[in-house]
Amino acid sequence: MTRYLRLLRLFFRAELQYELEYRLNFVLEIVETAVVTATSVGAVLILFSYTTVLNGWDLGAMLVLLGCFYLVQGFGEFALQPSFEKFLENVRLGTLDFALLKPASPQFQVTLRYFRVAQLAQMALGAVVVAVGLSRIPAIGLAEAIGFPIALICGFVLIYALLVALSTFAFWFVRVDNLMALYWSFMDAGRFPVDVYPGWLRVTLSSAVPIGVAVTVPAQVIAGRLDPLGLGFLILGTIAAFILASRFWRIGLRSYTGASA
Amino acid sequence: MIRTYRALLVAQLQAASQYRVQVLLWMLFSVIRPVIFLAAWVAVANAQGGQIGTYDVRDFAAYYICLSLVSCLTASWNAYEFEYEVRFGRLSPKLLRPLHPIHYAVVENLVAKLTQIVPLSIVLVFISITFDARFRTTPAHVLLFVPSVMLAAALSFLSGWVLATTAFWTTRVHSVSTFWDRAAFIFAGQIAPLALLPGPLQAISLALPFGYVLGVPAEILRGGVSPSTALLLMAGQAIWLAIFFVAFQRVWRAGVRQYSGVGA
Amino acid sequence: MTEAVVDVRELRKTFRVTEREEGLAATLRSFVKRRRKDVNAVAGITFRIDPGEIVGFLGPNGAGKTTTLKMLSGLLYPSAGDAKVLGYVPWRRENAYLGLMTLLMGNRTQLVWDIPAADSFRVLQEIYRIPEDRFRAAVNELTELLELQELVHKPVRNLSLGERMKVEFAAGLIHSPSVAFLDEPTIGLDISMQVRIRRFVAEYNRRTGATILLTSHYMDDVVALCKRVIVIHRGRLLYDGPLADLAERMAPYKIITATLHDGAAPSTDLDSYGTVVSRDEGRVMLRVDRQVAPERTARLVNDLGDRLADISVEDPPIEEIIDRVFTSEQATVSA
Repeated sequence: MTRYLRLLRLFFRAELQYELEYRLNFVLEIVETAVVTATSVGAVLILFSYTTVLNGWDLGAMLVLLGCFYLVQGFGEFALQPSFEKFLENVRLGTLDFALLKPASPQFQVTLRYFRVAQLAQMALGAVVVAVGLSRIPAIGLAEAIGFPIALICGFVLIYALLVALSTFAFWFVRVDNLMALYWSFMDAGRFPVDVYPGWLRVTLSSAVPIGVAVTVPAQVIAGRLDPLGLGFLILGTIAAFILASRFWRIGLRSYTGASA
Repeated sequence: MIRTYRALLVAQLQAASQYRVQVLLWMLFSVIRPVIFLAAWVAVANAQGGQIGTYDVRDFAAYYICLSLVSCLTASWNAYEFEYEVRFGRLSPKLLRPLHPIHYAVVENLVAKLTQIVPLSIVLVFISITFDARFRTTPAHVLLFVPSVMLAAALSFLSGWVLATTAFWTTRVHSVSTFWDRAAFIFAGQIAPLALLPGPLQAISLALPFGYVLGVPAEILRGGVSPSTALLLMAGQAIWLAIFFVAFQRVWRAGVRQYSGVGA
Repeated sequence: MTEAVVDVRELRKTFRVTEREEGLAATLRSFVKRRRKDVNAVAGITFRIDPGEIVGFLGPNGAGKTTTLKMLSGLLYPSAGDAKVLGYVPWRRENAYLGLMTLLMGNRTQLVWDIPAADSFRVLQEIYRIPEDRFRAAVNELTELLELQELVHKPVRNLSLGERMKVEFAAGLIHSPSVAFLDEPTIGLDISMQVRIRRFVAEYNRRTGATILLTSHYMDDVVALCKRVIVIHRGRLLYDGPLADLAERMAPYKIITATLHDGAAPSTDLDSYGTVVSRDEGRVMLRVDRQVAPERTARLVNDLGDRLADISVEDPPIEEIIDRVFTSEQATVSA
């Protein structure tokens, strides 16, 4: 376990070194995320210039939600997207071998290998937006303060698990980039609470693309709208999703190496 | 010229038929965001007793369905491809041919839209039933919409090319397009119908090109503006189109000179 | 008899090739109904390799060399047969086994493109759990042997092909494996770099006693490194034995090269001694049956007398033997 943490640190450091070589790009990427976040906050402010409450969410709660959206999306772009893109490329070119020849978990080596450090800025900005939102919420209990990071981490893991499951199809179908692109674009729906959407979309966002859960639930926790039972279910569901996805990935990998053929 | 276009069109259609799935997925991209904001506005309207300004819930539905159609019909994605072509030297062979590279892009763009329009219509009919959309469209609006959306498509396409042409000078077209897209996000009528942008934002949006690409044709199709207002807005579209036409010619000429100067 | 490092018995691999079209729709369609074809990549081969040997693994493209190496390194499951390497079944991919072997492919890279190799080495240190002192020692030794000094601190993308291959070698051997599978390690490299890599492999084998199974298109690699070769063709084993005997077994003839003072006047009739292979500027090459080679040579020396400046009797070049084997095999198969 500590070995994997040390490896993550090495991966991260290498990526940081690389990105810092291109300083202007690094800065521009951060400016870009700042502009994106600011305009999204602007969109929420425009909506709230016509109302004080949106499906029971006031402006403070809504900002917390938007902050969570950028925390989760930022996490996806910082830690997941780069590795998964590379993974699909390796499957397509048949160059996945390197990860299978080494005495360490192939899933780890493949899915957590690359980072886009500049996207940490997106997570930082998300945290700022959460903080601004919180300042409008009168009081936060201890339970909420503890539950929030737990729910957020569950959100990260859920997104990861779904990406693992989705990318597993690459072992059989090779070209799944379109599927992944669609997945990322559905992520955009996380900027509003999942309950504003009509039934079919809500179901999609809570199950197939769990962005709704990953973003809405942490925001609900901090706004004091989720009971411990719900949080418990989230934790269990996240663990289950992680285990199932990893297992599915291993099955895919085995068929890739011809175990079943 | 017509014959050249026909040949290019056939070639592109054949290529597109191999990417049918991609076509369907790209079609969904122009639906997802309008539906997201539609849902948000419905929630806002419901919290305010069903009415915001002149829009009720069913008007919002009609507006965002029109917006989705318009954003599909006016989509322009050349900036990204063009940067790629410049950076990897793919542009040079195209510059050698006796046909301006923009024509390839025009045809590619047209073909993509042709292939998307049918599946998109089906999805939009489904959404308009789900949200119970009410269109205030009259035959006059339809008649005005056709030239308006064509102006919008041309405007979007040319402005996209002006952006893309910056690839001759900078490798950071991505940043340029991000800033452009975010401005469009606020001012084009995506986050709110132009009429609902608060205070100075509305005036700004009418002075900028973004709204003339998306919000204006969408409102015309929905029947949200009177025919006379529509004509006025279309004049705005024409002015911006003219500006970008001139800008494109200047920037392109300077860019090619720069490009061949580098000797790529 | 010592315990074999590599022990392969009746190893087979049959690929089921699906004829697939582009696009998700076509893929989904083929999900229901597939057109399939079985290809025997490896059709039952058996061999053993003892500790410290360097064995050349020869065969034309598509003979099944890479497939065999992939099975031995655990990347592919065989369709039938057994293999043990260092006592492990490779395709179980136990970490203990993976830590003891390496597979280096000349046309693949395992290094991360954008970062210096030194950083990749650190990652490998963690993955293979190499203690710091052993890691240092390994890096120093490889740096010395491969002359890597400056190379490891440059981003890999800035290295030339040959430099990259040297660094690849270092990355593949940093955990001091006891078995190394080298698949075309010198492919695409210029002659001098080939020579250096070759020298390195020999030196590495001498110093560490690692067992090496190597494929190469360059016969020079094989001649320089391997006392023993295994030849496969169409998934079957054609020859397994000393490189020196390959010629005897596979090519029943020798080449006599005679150099004449007077520039081999066309009038000289040499056809009675053997088949003239080439004839230029006073040098004649004759192909003669292996058994009669001594007698023909003696006759040539006798008959040509003073005109003869030099004469030699050799096995045909190894490329020619291999080529002959494969083309004649092809001929019998297609006949």
